[in-house]
Amino acid sequence: MKMPRFLTVTKRVFMDLKNDKRSLALIVIAPIFVMFVFGLAFSGEVKNIKVVVVDLDEGAAGVSSAPLPEKIISNLDEEVLELEYADGREAALEMVENGEAYAAVIFPPDLTSSALSGMADGSPASPVSIELLLDRSNINVANAVTKEFNDALLATVEEAGMGMPVKVDATAVFGENAKFMDFFVPGIMAFAVYMITTLLTLVTFVGERTSGTLQRMLATTLKERDIVLGYAAAFSLIGIGQAILLLLVGILVFDVTVVGNVLLAFLVIALLAIVSQALGILLSSTARREAQAIQVLPFVILPAFLLAGIFWPIEAIPAWLRPLSYLVPPTYAVDASRAVMLKGWGMGKIWIDIVALVAMAAFFLFLAVLSLRTRKD
Amino acid sequence: MVDDGTGLMVETRGLVKRYGKFTAVDHLDLRVRKGEIYGLLGPNGAGKTTTIKMLCGLLKISGGEAHINGKQVPDGRIAAEVGYMPQETALYPGLSVHQNLAFFGSIFGLTRREIEVREKTLLEFIGLPEWRNEMVGNLSGGMKHRVSLACALVHMPPLLLLDEPTVGVDPELRVSFWDYFNEIKNRGRTIVITTHYMDEANRCDRIGFMHDGHLIAEGKPDELLSLTGCACLEDAFMSFSAGGREEAER
Ligand SMILES: Nc1ncnc2c1ncn2[C@@H]1O[C@H](COP(=O)(O)OP(=O)(O)OP(=O)(O)O)[C@@H](O)[C@H]1O
Ligand SMILES: [Mg+2]
Repeated sequence: MKMPRFLTVTKRVFMDLKNDKRSLALIVIAPIFVMFVFGLAFSGEVKNIKVVVVDLDEGAAGVSSAPLPEKIISNLDEEVLELEYADGREAALEMVENGEAYAAVIFPPDLTSSALSGMADGSPASPVSIELLLDRSNINVANAVTKEFNDALLATVEEAGMGMPVKVDATAVFGENAKFMDFFVPGIMAFAVYMITTLLTLVTFVGERTSGTLQRMLATTLKERDIVLGYAAAFSLIGIGQAILLLLVGILVFDVTVVGNVLLAFLVIALLAIVSQALGILLSSTARREAQAIQVLPFVILPAFLLAGIFWPIEAIPAWLRPLSYLVPPTYAVDASRAVMLKGWGMGKIWIDIVALVAMAAFFLFLAVLSLRTRKD
Repeated sequence: MVDDGTGLMVETRGLVKRYGKFTAVDHLDLRVRKGEIYGLLGPNGAGKTTTIKMLCGLLKISGGEAHINGKQVPDGRIAAEVGYMPQETALYPGLSVHQNLAFFGSIFGLTRREIEVREKTLLEFIGLPEWRNEMVGNLSGGMKHRVSLACALVHMPPLLLLDEPTVGVDPELRVSFWDYFNEIKNRGRTIVITTHYMDEANRCDRIGFMHDGHLIAEGKPDELLSLTGCACLEDAFMSFSAGGREEAER
């Protein structure tokens, strides 16, 4: 049986990797490292936020149940908020001003009494407010604090039987028990494969160009397209290998749940790897030395990092920037693999992403072949 | 090898290569017969490498034409008949000697068995049998050059285009290289070789002097000597270069 010619190139890429422990480490260890760093440090949830509590509540005469502040506090998530107590508003404010706490909450003296009187005579309670003094210089933290108190208040009110006339009833259609890592793993999978594949092909190919091996190959029966296809085959396999590895670590270490067809997710990753390696070959034509190749990397990595929807949804990107997201290849891979792994969607629902990736692959492969041809001038 | 009747392995007619406004090869008419060793000589920048790259299809031809074994360049069928050794080493430093040879062999469809057989002879010839499994990156410059030559020979092509194959190779080994070149020539192969060593030029069947992209003289080594009345090729070459283009017109 005769091997298609391009496979000789594929085989050589693997031989090269087998001897090159450093690139091998980059392929195997880097994605896992990225996953751990982000998985552990950037879980998407803010925790241990210092909040000062000033409880001025005087309770209500003749009521035996616990005063409201106590109930509200018991409904706060102690993992998110770390409570401290202060005697008065002034002291609490000073702590926030000095950066010793992110927020101060002040329960007013008449809190329990006015709340209960409102409930007792059925008339709308005379509104009483809980004051929240916020350090809003850190939006994430401030939002988390506000949300915690709103949630706790709502829960307390419900427990007291003072139910809201209307409320929102949320049911999870997908991702019932989804954690941040479940959302994050497909993203990091696409990001790691994109980044490492582009980097490796870029550096390897600059080597091929500068050492003369590219010319030597082109003087043989290998055509430009054989070389590009050979690399594509090698790196799509490597990409799938990385995806498997990341998935295993995700499942074993971070307890990630996958509801969809993993093979479909791998297909997506393989397509992304093909796009990435073609991009790497293309970019290699702009560099004469390896050092120059490294200079173009930020332009490859940053847009993907910021615009592909890996860390935050594309909807969080300003509308005027969003069209750029659709020019960044990992956007489609992140969207598709997330839909497959988290929502269990099949080909029927992610076909647009697949079409986009196939089109991009075809486009970049074509340009890569072209970039090898134009060398002859 | 099918003879196309001309008896020529390489033929160029008015071959031109321009880089922008600069003309690197200027109306070159080259004729290399089958089964001969043809030496291409000339100072740095004369256009030797450019000519060879055009013959390999690595550079677009700006004017004129080139034929290899009766096929006009570029032609997809030519590559299989040519073994090209670039001027730079052009090997994979991260692969062993064996892996480099095997890669270039497999491109031409050689089986593992065929590669093994040829590798044995070739390593013997370049004097590196015990270096088979060493990374090419760990070899000395001259050794790399020898491996590079072996890679050009691995598929036993009828035409060899060797760009300075003996640079950095020690004198003793150079002698054995030439013995080998003569041996494969006697088996019917054609060799085009560029060199700066005049003793090597002497061992060619015919040589062509290139200067500024022109072929300024061509012939058997002793013919060129008697033409100029010089005692050695070095002086002959000097006199041709000085004489410039009028000589070439003749
Ligand atoms: N890519 C290029 N762009 C512009 N000029 C080029 C290019 N490649 C070669 N040249 C020029 O063409 C001329 C011929 O170069 P070539 O490499 O063919 O010389 P050579 O005879 O092989 O010299 P050497 O003995 O040093 O190897 C030189 O003047 C060189 O500067
Ligand atoms: Mg040269």
